[in-house]
Amino acid sequence: MAMMLCLSSIAHPRRRWLPALFVVILGSLLWPASAMRAESSATHPKTVLRFVSWKPDHPRVWQEAIERFQEAYPDIEVIREIAPHSSTAYHDLLTQKLKNRDASVDLFFMDVIWVPEFAAAGWALPLGDRFPPSEQAKFLPATIQAGTYQGQIFGIPSRIDGGMLYFRQDLLKAYGFGPPQTWEELARQAETIVAGEGKTRPALRGYSAQFKQYEGLVCNMLELIESNGGRLVSEDGRHSLLHSPQSLAPVRFARDRIMGRLASRAVLMYQEPESLAAFIQGNAVFHRNWPYAWDVSNDPKRSTIAGKVGVAPLPRFPGGRSVSALGGWLYGISTYSRQPSVAWAFISFLSSQEMQKFFSIHAGLAPSRTALFNDAEVLTAQPFFRDQFAVLRGTSPRPRSPLYPALSHVLQRYFSRALAISNLDLAAEAAAADRQINRLLKLTEGNT
Amino acid sequence: MTGGSAGRDRFRTGEQAGWWMLAPALAFSVMFALYPVIDSFVLSLYRIFLAVPDLGQTFVGWENYRDLATDPVARQAFLVTVGFVVSSTLLELLLGLGIALVIHEQFPGRGWVRATALIPWAIPTVVAYQMWRFIFNDQYGLANLFLFGDRVAEYVPWLAYPGFAWLAIVLADVWKTSSFAGLLILAGLQLIPDELYEAARIDGANTWQRFWRITLPLLRPALLLALVFRTMDAFRVFDLVFVMTQGGPGGATQVLQFYGYKALFTEGRMGYGAAISVTVFLAIFLLSLFYIRAVGSKLFEKEPA
Repeated sequence: MAMMLCLSSIAHPRRRWLPALFVVILGSLLWPASAMRAESSATHPKTVLRFVSWKPDHPRVWQEAIERFQEAYPDIEVIREIAPHSSTAYHDLLTQKLKNRDASVDLFFMDVIWVPEFAAAGWALPLGDRFPPSEQAKFLPATIQAGTYQGQIFGIPSRIDGGMLYFRQDLLKAYGFGPPQTWEELARQAETIVAGEGKTRPALRGYSAQFKQYEGLVCNMLELIESNGGRLVSEDGRHSLLHSPQSLAPVRFARDRIMGRLASRAVLMYQEPESLAAFIQGNAVFHRNWPYAWDVSNDPKRSTIAGKVGVAPLPRFPGGRSVSALGGWLYGISTYSRQPSVAWAFISFLSSQEMQKFFSIHAGLAPSRTALFNDAEVLTAQPFFRDQFAVLRGTSPRPRSPLYPALSHVLQRYFSRALAISNLDLAAEAAAADRQINRLLKLTEGNT
Repeated sequence: MTGGSAGRDRFRTGEQAGWWMLAPALAFSVMFALYPVIDSFVLSLYRIFLAVPDLGQTFVGWENYRDLATDPVARQAFLVTVGFVVSSTLLELLLGLGIALVIHEQFPGRGWVRATALIPWAIPTVVAYQMWRFIFNDQYGLANLFLFGDRVAEYVPWLAYPGFAWLAIVLADVWKTSSFAGLLILAGLQLIPDELYEAARIDGANTWQRFWRITLPLLRPALLLALVFRTMDAFRVFDLVFVMTQGGPGGATQVLQFYGYKALFTEGRMGYGAAISVTVFLAIFLLSLFYIRAVGSKLFEKEPA
């Protein structure tokens, strides 16, 4: 507005080209955006659906799934916007768009930990009308819970993920071991095998998992802590419990027994791909990962240990129970989408029995629909789903809060410091993290 | 525009024309520099959690700054940042001086050496730091290959040690930007007249004396300029940490800017994140004021004789 006034008050006729030039420059900066938008809607007579997704692990499978959808709905064109592979980087990009109420996002994936945030912020559309309880009952309860916030459902589970223990069947058999029940047993088995094989395989270590300062660290530590009867946050979600003895002991175990001993210290920089690489190169006896690792480690093209891999529930501490952290992705529709029904058509197609089966068989993803765990074709392709059904059904969620990203940063820093600095005063560090988390939890009290 | 003398009239229109010519640049500075700074400052006085709109957007005055002062994570990030700034800047100046002295000399193939010295500076930032991450990789990194060859069992996971991870980001930054400091210093070297050296040589000064008595004093403006550029750049380091370590392990490489980024973009704590940004801005602003006051006068007034 101020600019317009300035322009109209020009007195000298010969100087008029100057402001005119200014307008031209500004205009040329703003013009392309509007021009491009007009063009894209003119050349696509089809309904265009914009799907923001991470970079998929199985691009060809995804390509085919979307082609199948477009065959079934010829007047809809799906445009995928590919975000980074990392969950946090994807979160930052997606929420940036949603903060700006970007109408060019119709639907997206939500990590199981994002639903409270997306729901409370009003970014995700409630889907109860389209996805009634009768439909929800066909999915694993843990995944439906993950998609629900304050009694309303916001996310449709595309699959389920849970942490599981992969191991070298051949090595365990050679040394007369069965799958370990406790962490102590895992440690002893690994030490025996590494000592025995050390001369021929100097790079062999006992364990590989994800201990980098990132989201996966929270999953790994949650599994250790809860398998000792500890908790990250109290049942009612009001208090952080990191300083409790049951929560402290597993952290101490990870620091004193795993770091640089059972596992190479390098696990402090490992996310899923690096830790899986160590396993499939034959450099680890035991490995913790999500269900997709089964397909990769048994693929002779990528793995040196294909056919020698076993899988079991993760170990526990004496007196505890085996715990698998809940992971996975849910489809959500943006509040700012102008075509939620079209987005819904796409979601119900992709999460149908048939398409989940397709993803399970071709990408090795564990389905979120309970019935598929009894499906003959799925079980032929992924026989380990049968044994792991109990593990996946019993997965344990991370704390649920709209402020989860902030909680997670406190947890990540605490765990990373606890594991990386061997002479840290664990109790004091845990108490400090508790205080930070309690402050965050207080902000949303009555909101959970 | 009648009345008054013709001269004053011309002066007035001249002044007006000047303002008009400045207007586009001024408008851009206000829009893209001043406005964001003021907006960030205002934002930093509010408590805003994007994910919890129910909490509203409350004006809390200096609360975010008070929190920042007592936040142990921020304190660690501040120390990490200052340590990074001091050590990387000093090393870059020393190395840059070395590079500049070498490529200032006359020798066959100097053009090639000059071009080669600039390669690190020319490589896109993310690519360069990704490369350093690979060099320190525990399984296939060059560092381990050079040090241990095929003794795989001795391979060291460099970036898994808090102290070394910090050292690694300093090293990567020094590698990348020393040649930029070198370039600035080279420009200073070229301003020193050859006659001074000739005169010194006739007076019997040896190489060291010529360096300490002529080169270094006359190079001071260029060195200061390089110092200003490098400190300010190092203080707002972000990409390096984002690519190489993501702040880990245990927050050992988490610099202030990365902490601010996490608060703003991942946690949606707009007020607190803005307070961190404003703090970094103020730190850089004060540093540059200090430079201009304490050393800038020498930089701009004292021309080489």
